[in-house]
Amino acid sequence: MNAKANKNQGSCIEPSYYQAVTKAIRTQAVQILKEGTVAGLVGYLPGRRKGTARPALITTPEEAEKLIFSPACVNNLSVYLTKSKKGVLKQGRIGIVAKGCDMRALAGLMGESQIKREDLFIIAVDCAGVYGSGAERSETVTEANIARKCLECSVHHPEGADFVAGSATDLSGLTPLEAEEMARIEALPQAERWAFWKEHFSRCIRCMACRQVCPFCYCEQCLCDKNRPQAVESSPRPAGNTAWHIVRAMHLAGRCGGCAECERVCPMDIPLNLLNRRMAKELKELYDYEAGLAPAEKGPLTQYREDDDQSFIK
Amino acid sequence: MHAEAKQHDFEPKIVAFVCTWCTYAGADLAGTSRMQYPANVRVLKFPCTGRIDPVFILRAFQKGADGVLVSGCHPGDCHYMAGNFHARRRFAAFRALLDFVGVDLHRLQFSWVSAAEGGKWVEVVTELTERVRAMGPMLEFKSLEHEEQWSAFQALADVPGVVNTPELKEAYDKI
Ligand code: SF4
Ligand code: SF4
Ligand code: SF4
Repeated sequence: MNAKANKNQGSCIEPSYYQAVTKAIRTQAVQILKEGTVAGLVGYLPGRRKGTARPALITTPEEAEKLIFSPACVNNLSVYLTKSKKGVLKQGRIGIVAKGCDMRALAGLMGESQIKREDLFIIAVDCAGVYGSGAERSETVTEANIARKCLECSVHHPEGADFVAGSATDLSGLTPLEAEEMARIEALPQAERWAFWKEHFSRCIRCMACRQVCPFCYCEQCLCDKNRPQAVESSPRPAGNTAWHIVRAMHLAGRCGGCAECERVCPMDIPLNLLNRRMAKELKELYDYEAGLAPAEKGPLTQYREDDDQSFIK
Repeated sequence: MHAEAKQHDFEPKIVAFVCTWCTYAGADLAGTSRMQYPANVRVLKFPCTGRIDPVFILRAFQKGADGVLVSGCHPGDCHYMAGNFHARRRFAAFRALLDFVGVDLHRLQFSWVSAAEGGKWVEVVTELTERVRAMGPMLEFKSLEHEEQWSAFQALADVPGVVNTPELKEAYDKI
């Protein structure tokens, strides 16, 4: 692959790049399934409509010939390896197709002892970005229709994988919309911030899609479902919604890998990733911690230093 | 009531989440030493600041607290060795989140009060109570609760004469 050809200059990424990645994934997947390295593989198959993709568990080399990678491969597949999707991992070593942001989730799950590195065969994608919400599935990816997370992606060259499909994508020079939006909200007066979030939270219908899709929301019983005693009201009303969103952001602080799946699946277009990013920024500033590519045994909120800042405590 | 007690227009409700080993004992000491402090504070005792979940703070605000205090042992004095160190990080992060969501952090106070610091307990509680009194009632979370009770009626508000009667409006405004 020629580095220049893959450059996303606000114009477009060559569709041929995705074809090359698809080819590399297929070859590798067929090989590891034939050799018996893995019992199965989680990847993407073409969706029923043209230009779409769907996650799938593949167990035969024949099926692996159908694997694809395209800008429609938005899902973070690591969620299939967690407790909340019981069963997939029971079959021995498993392969997984992962973009850079998905690999952060894998690293986080390893750090939290949910999966073991030796149980995985990671086919990483040197990622050139995926579709944002509302993007027409037949178009090429441009700065206008790329997912917002991809505009400021720092992990599109994956590290530590068993195999990397594609190479030398370049996502520099894009406008970081999320960072701008976060700065805008931070600069608002306090009452306006409350009004901003109140409007967003009040629209939440508590479908819990954001929880179900998150690789880190694997608790067998969510605090927000408990009713004896009840911590967070479960009906979609303003008070409970606000509590739910604060609790969600808090429980993911220091763990969230920034895959923005929660925001993608939200039917009410609530900017969940803004909250995630705000927490990530805070933990970076306070404890110099960043959810990264290497599994860390302890996150920022499960460890401490005796000289941590306590200027806010009297 | 104490002879010097003043009358105020607004008595804030302060909820204090304290650990049993240090701050609770400190508050107890203030009491047995007959020190005076505002009766606005409702003390809830926990084994450790590490047990105080941020969701308790949210719940307190939702259910009508105007100010919240979280207090425990000084760093290094935790009965369980590190509970307060963990709590310190958690609350540092939680404050940032509340701030981003638009909650005024002046209503939320954290402190270390040891079993020997009855005087400091009085000081912390008095300061927070007076500050919150000056700020007035905490309306943000309470208004969410009220909307919650009202929203069922609001859904029918378009249906004339059904529930959106002046009497109900008046009742609602009184809540
Ligand atoms: S955030 Fe980065 S790794 Fe993830 S899909 Fe976008 S470009 Fe790819
Ligand atoms: S909170 Fe959202 S962005 Fe973070 S890991 Fe979960 S789904 Fe991904
Ligand atoms: S996906 Fe959106 S609407 Fe559904 S619970 Fe999450 S924030 Fe609420």
